[in-house]
Amino acid sequence: MAESTGTPTPRPSSSVKLVLLGEAAVGKSSLVMRFVNNDFQENKEPTIGAAFLTQKCNLPNRTIKFEIWDTAGQERFASLAPMYYRNAQAALVVYDITKPQSLTKAQHWVAELQRQASPGIVIALVGNKADLASPGSFPAPGDDADGVEANADAEQDESDARKVPTREAKAYAEEEGLLFYETSAKTGQYVAEVFTAIAHAIPESSLKGPRGVGGQTNLGRDDGARVNLAGPRETGPKEGCAC
Amino acid sequence: MFNNFTSLVQKAQTLIDTAGLTASPSKSPSKSTLFQHQFRLPDSESPLYEITSELTLPLPRSGRQPQDANDVSSQLRGNHYVGRLHLSEHYICFSTQGSSFLSTATTSSSSSFTGQTHGTGPSGNGFTLPLCAVRRVERLNSQSFQFSLAITTSNGYRDVDKKQSTNPNPQRLIVQLAGSRQQCERFCDGLKKGLRAAYKDTQNLNKVVGELYSEYHLADTATSDKEGSTTTQRDPPDTGLGAIYRYPGDARKLRDKAKMRLWKEYMRENGRNATIVRQPTFHKLIRVGLPNRLRGEIWELTSGSLFLRFQNPDLYAEMLKEHEGKQSLAIDEIEKDLNRSLPEYPGFQSEEGIGRLRRVLVAYSWLNPEVGYCQAMNIVVAALLIYMSEAQAFFVLSVLCDRMLPGYYSMTMYGTLLDQKVFESLVEGTMPILWDHLVKSDVQLSVVSLPWFLSLYINSMPLIFAYRVLDVFFLEGPKVLFQIGLAILRINGEELLDAADDGTFISVLKTYFSRLDESAHPKSENPKLRAVTRFQELMVVAFKEFSGITQGTISEQRAKHKDAVLENIENFAKRTSIRNLGPDSKRLSLNDLGFLYDRFYGVLYERQQRTQMIQQEMDRKKKSGRIKATEVVSGVSGDEPEMGRVALGPSPTQMDYAAFREFLAGIAKWAVTDSPSSPSSHVDGEKASYFGNSMRSRSLTISPWGAGPEPADHDFMKRLFRKWDVDSVDTLTLQNVVTGLAHMKGTKDIMANISYFFDLYDDDGDGKIDREGILSMSEALLFLSRRGFETPFPAASPQSDARMGSSIEADELRIENRDEQFLSSVSAFIRRCFEYADADHPSKQIDDSTSALSNFGIGEDEEEEEDEDEALIEIDGTSTSTPKPEHASSPPNGASTSETPSDSASSLPRRDPAAANAALDPSNPLSITLPTFRMLVLADETLEHFFDRALANSFRLSDAPAATASSTLTTFANLGRFTPGVGAGPSSPLPSTAGVVPPGKGLRGVLDNIVTDGMRVATDIRRRMDEAQKELDRGAAQEEDEEDEAEPDERTPGGAYGGDADQRSVRAADRDLLEGAETEDVSSTMGKEGLLNAPGGDGKGRTRAGSEEVGEVLF
Repeated sequence: MAESTGTPTPRPSSSVKLVLLGEAAVGKSSLVMRFVNNDFQENKEPTIGAAFLTQKCNLPNRTIKFEIWDTAGQERFASLAPMYYRNAQAALVVYDITKPQSLTKAQHWVAELQRQASPGIVIALVGNKADLASPGSFPAPGDDADGVEANADAEQDESDARKVPTREAKAYAEEEGLLFYETSAKTGQYVAEVFTAIAHAIPESSLKGPRGVGGQTNLGRDDGARVNLAGPRETGPKEGCAC
Repeated sequence: MFNNFTSLVQKAQTLIDTAGLTASPSKSPSKSTLFQHQFRLPDSESPLYEITSELTLPLPRSGRQPQDANDVSSQLRGNHYVGRLHLSEHYICFSTQGSSFLSTATTSSSSSFTGQTHGTGPSGNGFTLPLCAVRRVERLNSQSFQFSLAITTSNGYRDVDKKQSTNPNPQRLIVQLAGSRQQCERFCDGLKKGLRAAYKDTQNLNKVVGELYSEYHLADTATSDKEGSTTTQRDPPDTGLGAIYRYPGDARKLRDKAKMRLWKEYMRENGRNATIVRQPTFHKLIRVGLPNRLRGEIWELTSGSLFLRFQNPDLYAEMLKEHEGKQSLAIDEIEKDLNRSLPEYPGFQSEEGIGRLRRVLVAYSWLNPEVGYCQAMNIVVAALLIYMSEAQAFFVLSVLCDRMLPGYYSMTMYGTLLDQKVFESLVEGTMPILWDHLVKSDVQLSVVSLPWFLSLYINSMPLIFAYRVLDVFFLEGPKVLFQIGLAILRINGEELLDAADDGTFISVLKTYFSRLDESAHPKSENPKLRAVTRFQELMVVAFKEFSGITQGTISEQRAKHKDAVLENIENFAKRTSIRNLGPDSKRLSLNDLGFLYDRFYGVLYERQQRTQMIQQEMDRKKKSGRIKATEVVSGVSGDEPEMGRVALGPSPTQMDYAAFREFLAGIAKWAVTDSPSSPSSHVDGEKASYFGNSMRSRSLTISPWGAGPEPADHDFMKRLFRKWDVDSVDTLTLQNVVTGLAHMKGTKDIMANISYFFDLYDDDGDGKIDREGILSMSEALLFLSRRGFETPFPAASPQSDARMGSSIEADELRIENRDEQFLSSVSAFIRRCFEYADADHPSKQIDDSTSALSNFGIGEDEEEEEDEDEALIEIDGTSTSTPKPEHASSPPNGASTSETPSDSASSLPRRDPAAANAALDPSNPLSITLPTFRMLVLADETLEHFFDRALANSFRLSDAPAATASSTLTTFANLGRFTPGVGAGPSSPLPSTAGVVPPGKGLRGVLDNIVTDGMRVATDIRRRMDEAQKELDRGAAQEEDEEDEAEPDERTPGGAYGGDADQRSVRAADRDLLEGAETEDVSSTMGKEGLLNAPGGDGKGRTRAGSEEVGEVLF
């Protein structure tokens, strides 16, 4: 995290606050772990409140530093969520393709974000644990319509643990204007792609500086506020310790 | 929370209770609560007696010599502590802190504490002795005229049992009571009584104590001092997974052995576990960190969970046994997390450790289903299990959830959120510069600190340090968490001021936690200073610099922020659940949904609260006499604001039928009962039952309805309930209600509304409704209409103008009031139902209606046929026809009461078999289908309007204030077309009650009466009609003019009266007056009439009266 305070990179770098939401044990933390450390751990401690991680994502013309807030999934933690998605520019709403209930929960989250989070937040709907679906039904990337068709046919497969048809989730995502992917944190399928797609989808205008404060607090809504916030941030350290 | 405990305890208490003080777990801190918290006693304990006294303890290391306690000089040696001795049902406690908990004590003396724990822990020096651990109490000879007691405890009793010689020095506490002789004697009497009652608990105590390591430890060394022998072969008690998988940290580095020795020495002199006496060394020993094998036991002791275990040693095993094999949501959630609780500790990579964790969490989820399981509990319990047995951890978890971390793990986690607010405000107060910085750089502190509190620093700090925090936390209470948190921020203040975003902020602290074991002053020249670790520094800062943060501070802050936090949670919950109501809810406006949400839960909470109050009242009655009035009052009022808040935890989400009635009564005025006591709860004549505060005087079998209007109980409401209860579970969720209402109110489609109503009565779902169903439907229509509707019948007005102007009938229509009109519509509806019903052709279509006309019944079917014709034409929009004079008796949409009977009489002569329609023959089953029903509804303007708008609008949601008791009494006032009747003033008082009949019993009677009386009345009517018609022929033109003038006024919004003959002469200016008078009149009329209780005679009488009045006006 020490490097998070803006080591200069050749490309312009900007911070993006991203929040993960979704039902308990759908694999939010595992997705982050895969993305950040390219690692997978079978028994991860449940997230209490939220965990914070960062990871860079290189785009052709710029670097995006994701500040990832990985939240607790248990239902009763839902009332804490606003604290975490506050000022988020992107959200990953995760469900488990083997648990239809988790898609419902994900839809609730999407509705909540659309109404309560920053306007213009980029939301990606992610069906995780795609490795549990039978091989034939492993989805193509969300934007590949052919893959979805093929996949829909394969859903009849008996050995398939999949309970949420790709088509259903994708239709919902399209209706709501969300990015859509089916991933596997275990195998790593499409994990990086999700983050890259989000990075691409973040409007240039909402990217402010390498430290992310501007981006987090403004989201391009109010330039005045950004100026105000920048001031104290620079003078802050000089004021000395509060103690 | 301790539901089980509390109930057990309350039972026990009623037996023992001598002082008559209620120990009901009130949420406002009563004196009992303060007392329980001070000594960490179970909720069942209440302060019975207390007395100022002096405790004398032998000097350290003097314990080996037997002393003569009776010798006064021996009292002069040793440590003297002045404090107060308290006696509760099962405990005798001493504390040097001068708090008083008796009911006579002032609030400040009960709640003002000094010392480390500030009233939330066994602070100060003293003891908390279970009475059953007292072996003997002697009264000592004393030089002064004071009472001196020598209390001999059962400390080391087990050893004594085995080897008299090993314990030559039983623990003896000498307490000198300082009070009047009377006071002292009272105290001693109480003590005697308590001791006698406590004898039976000795077994429990011995059982629990036998499992404690201190017993083993002391016995072990006691015997090995002599000769290694029998007792050493005893297996050491379960001291947690650490005994198997090693305790965290390096025992050598932690100086575990030395700590053990110190504790052993302390316990030898000051007693062990239940009989331990707290002297200053006790607190110091805890501050330096507990030794591994005693850690669990001391936690249990200081948190007070030990006392819970004394009370019910087998509760843990019972919980598991009772619920063996059962499934629950909590268990599913627990299973998800079992493999991910302190996974780095070897014990939790094994089945043994995971099994223990599972059992404790599951048992607790059964003990306290309101909490169930919350993530973070797994981590806390896993941490406890390293040092404790399963049962110990189970009871500690109870104490954590109920007392030390209230609301932390609840459904809404309000405690967690509240303490975050408290923490933030403490930071703001103690470190303003840092706080400013956080605000300016938009770093949200709770993002960082929430996990600290929720998992007690266990997964923030390295385990060994987290345990040190826990050691102090269990002794001194929740304020420790705040002190540590503040100290962390202070120590890292400089670096945190450099951090400008959450990320940096978090990483600074992460780094700090990972270096807690390093030297705090690595560059210092002073080797002693260099040896101070960062953790030690943290402890010092926390408890020295922030010693001003007391439990009092925390409580104060909690109280300050509580409302805002709860409101936030409630808004969040409301927003979320409304959003998640599904597609059907979209038919209702957001405001309506919000209103429904409030109303739905409002009703549930109110009912819950009332039940509780009744329960309390019952309890109180049982105890009766002894309670002081003030106690009663404060007990209730203290509870009230706490209940019924979503944010405080799981709340009822299921609405049963009774609650549903109450719910409906709040949104639809037809659902309010007409008689003060609803039929179901039989008349008890207690009008006061309208008000919540009268509940105490009510019989307990009757469920009171609170302050709101008492709901009716009608078949229609039952049907609605059943229909909305899609899962057939006899309860409704908010989802059910919203979906149901969305169908009734959300559709603008009259056809959909008609079929919905039809379905309500189609019991077997075969698309047909039989005779009974038809009658039920009609009853329901009258039931629904008996208070009129909010919305006017606009479409109908022009037509009525035409009518009114053209014939004498118009006058009748004007005189008549709306309920009568509806009544007639309904009776016409019944009549037609039977006419159109066909047993042979169940699938009759609307299109058949013309052919159906030819099938018309007998008698005066000629007229009816034409009426029907007319009605059908009207639907088609060609409503230009004016009724012909000879139709006077049966206009389908405007029949007066006087006409109705004649219609009905002709077609429904129930008791006249000669004239009977075949359809009325019981042996001739009949039914109507949806298309028929639809046709019949559309054939009648009034009914059409009813289904088009009025029914839906009769549910008043956010767009209108909920129907109140008074507004429900304004009947039919807003209907535009017809005269209000009810509001019409003295000229027509009787008809005003025509449609208003007590639900459930009267409607059918009215219908029957209409039918039978109609026969007799018909002739009379006919005669009058003929005369009237003659009259009309003479004055028709004149009337018409007048009509045109009056009409617009009648239809002005709120112009709630109309065109009876008298009224028409009233000028517009006067109507304002009438408007005001109207309501009064209505209420008085309603009151007097008793809402028409006797259907038989009254039905007839009313009809007569109505027609006579017609006559009066006309002639």
